[in-house]
Amino acid sequence: MKSIIVTVFLILLALLSGSVYASIQEASTSLICGDGICSGSETCSTCPADCGTCPPSGGGGGGEAYIPPAPETKVIFSGRAYPKSTVTLLKDAQIAATTIAGVDANFQMSISGLSAGNYIFALYSEDKDGRRSSLLTFPVSVTAGATTNVSGIFIAPTIDVDKSEVKRGDNIAIFGQSAPQADIVISVSSEEEYFAKTISDRDGIYLHNVDTTILDYGVHYTKSKASIGNLLISSYGQVISFKVGTITVLKEIKPEISKGDLNNDNRVNLVDFSIAAFWYKRTISAEFKLKEAERLNGDGKVDLVDFSIMAYYWTG
Amino acid sequence: MQKSKLQFKIKNYFFAVSVIFALLLIAVPVFAAEIYFKTDSTTVRPGDPLEVLVSLNTEKEDINAVEGTVLFPDDILKLENINEANSILTFWPEKPRVYDGNKIKFAGITPGGYQEKTGLLFSITFQAKKEGAGIIEIKDSRVLLNDGQGTPTDVKTPNFQFSIFKEAPISKSQILVSKEDKDQPEEFKPEIAQSPEMFEGKYFLVFATQDKGSGIDHYEVCEGSKKKCVIAESPYLLQNQELNQEIFVKAVDKSGNERVVTIPAQKPLPWYKNYFVIAILIIGLIIAGAILRKILWQRFIKSR
Repeated sequence: MKSIIVTVFLILLALLSGSVYASIQEASTSLICGDGICSGSETCSTCPADCGTCPPSGGGGGGEAYIPPAPETKVIFSGRAYPKSTVTLLKDAQIAATTIAGVDANFQMSISGLSAGNYIFALYSEDKDGRRSSLLTFPVSVTAGATTNVSGIFIAPTIDVDKSEVKRGDNIAIFGQSAPQADIVISVSSEEEYFAKTISDRDGIYLHNVDTTILDYGVHYTKSKASIGNLLISSYGQVISFKVGTITVLKEIKPEISKGDLNNDNRVNLVDFSIAAFWYKRTISAEFKLKEAERLNGDGKVDLVDFSIMAYYWTG
Repeated sequence: MQKSKLQFKIKNYFFAVSVIFALLLIAVPVFAAEIYFKTDSTTVRPGDPLEVLVSLNTEKEDINAVEGTVLFPDDILKLENINEANSILTFWPEKPRVYDGNKIKFAGITPGGYQEKTGLLFSITFQAKKEGAGIIEIKDSRVLLNDGQGTPTDVKTPNFQFSIFKEAPISKSQILVSKEDKDQPEEFKPEIAQSPEMFEGKYFLVFATQDKGSGIDHYEVCEGSKKKCVIAESPYLLQNQELNQEIFVKAVDKSGNERVVTIPAQKPLPWYKNYFVIAILIIGLIIAGAILRKILWQRFIKSR
């Protein structure tokens, strides 16, 4: 009889502990079946979307024919970013994978479990100081059961300046990060476009001092691109501005208010899109008007232009 | 006198020709993006389907936002379906929907930009009602550059002319057997968010995915149980603001395939507030009590 009591007690204890453990687990983790990550208690039988389909069980001698698994539908991306930088892959504008580039700036990442159809993939990277590159998009038509390789990707360099306003005649430093030993072309737009060349160091860092004597007073825009051995050439990256005036003002290091980021999480993604979509073609509230002025185009309404700004600064 | 008149005329002609040549030399080729219609056939029989693809040629421009209104003659065409599957536009401030019986308004964006000649925006399937000729056109179109400022670019919108008559060759879209879509919608990650500017700062849910086969038909949100679902659109104001229950988001495509994503409770109940745990405890206590009673009863009998 004692053994029965002990057994019942143990069963109850197990059920209770299991339930409490599950509650604790739910609180501490955010496992989602369908998030593309096979983790925690997810298995091929409980979550085939993340963990893939279960392999056929071997042995048994039941005489059943072995059906080989269908070939995987996959896209592989490879190329160069910045040494040890985080590279983010977006699938139809939502984060699908991230990886860290090697010291040589090379990276490779793949995405599987796709359907046949047209996808818009996009890649961006962040340099050692957290500056983001521009988005590089790849429309890819995926074929069922085939592996598609997208190679030779070269993410455009990041760019920044040390002064927001520079006294005409003084130098302004234009710098950023790219792949190691890459040829960097810096463009400064004025009435005439001015080009400068430099080479990034072994960490991919580049810096060029521009003598502003050649520039007129006013706002100027600068951007950069990189090439390696004239074979691998990036597109131009983000465009930033600086002013040539009568005084020199150092650029503040405080984080800039990022355009398109409506919920202050330093990202521009579906949440921000949804907030803007809520106000689309509606009279915006006084509270939102301030944010619209600061982070969108500031015309007091939400229309396609605001979404275009958001799409440019998109991070996923 | 006549000679001077002739000289004057020659001078004028020379001047006019010079101006034309100068203009030709100065003229710079103007690139304009184009929203155009693509179809298998411009002639159909009454009762036949007419599938029209609304597409974008960016003309080497980097484009990230498009909007417009498609106008069609509803006296000879019946709108059957609008499909956004495989669109280059990933998010829609305004999904293509019919208004006033003969207008389809749309506005969409492609984050990061797009620079190709054959970007599908969406497809429209009509059914030819009766014999006649008509045009499908685009009005109020805007195409914006991916430059961080939403700069508009020039846009061309050629009309699509079609005719419906009994002797028309059988259209390809009628011959083609539509491919069965067995794939679930794409994986997605719904997010719970909060913004002081909307829903009075209450928690809401955002979600979006795509279906490459037949397109997304609708979404359902189930709070607490998969049996309590409502058809929903993003952003969705959560009913359970305590966030102490699981949320299930179901994406259903036009072929009926579903993908369900589970969001765990963000603030789960402590174990002593969990009805399941309490029920187990009560059952356990009842069983333990019964066993104890039996033991005591047996001892009592033995002692007698």
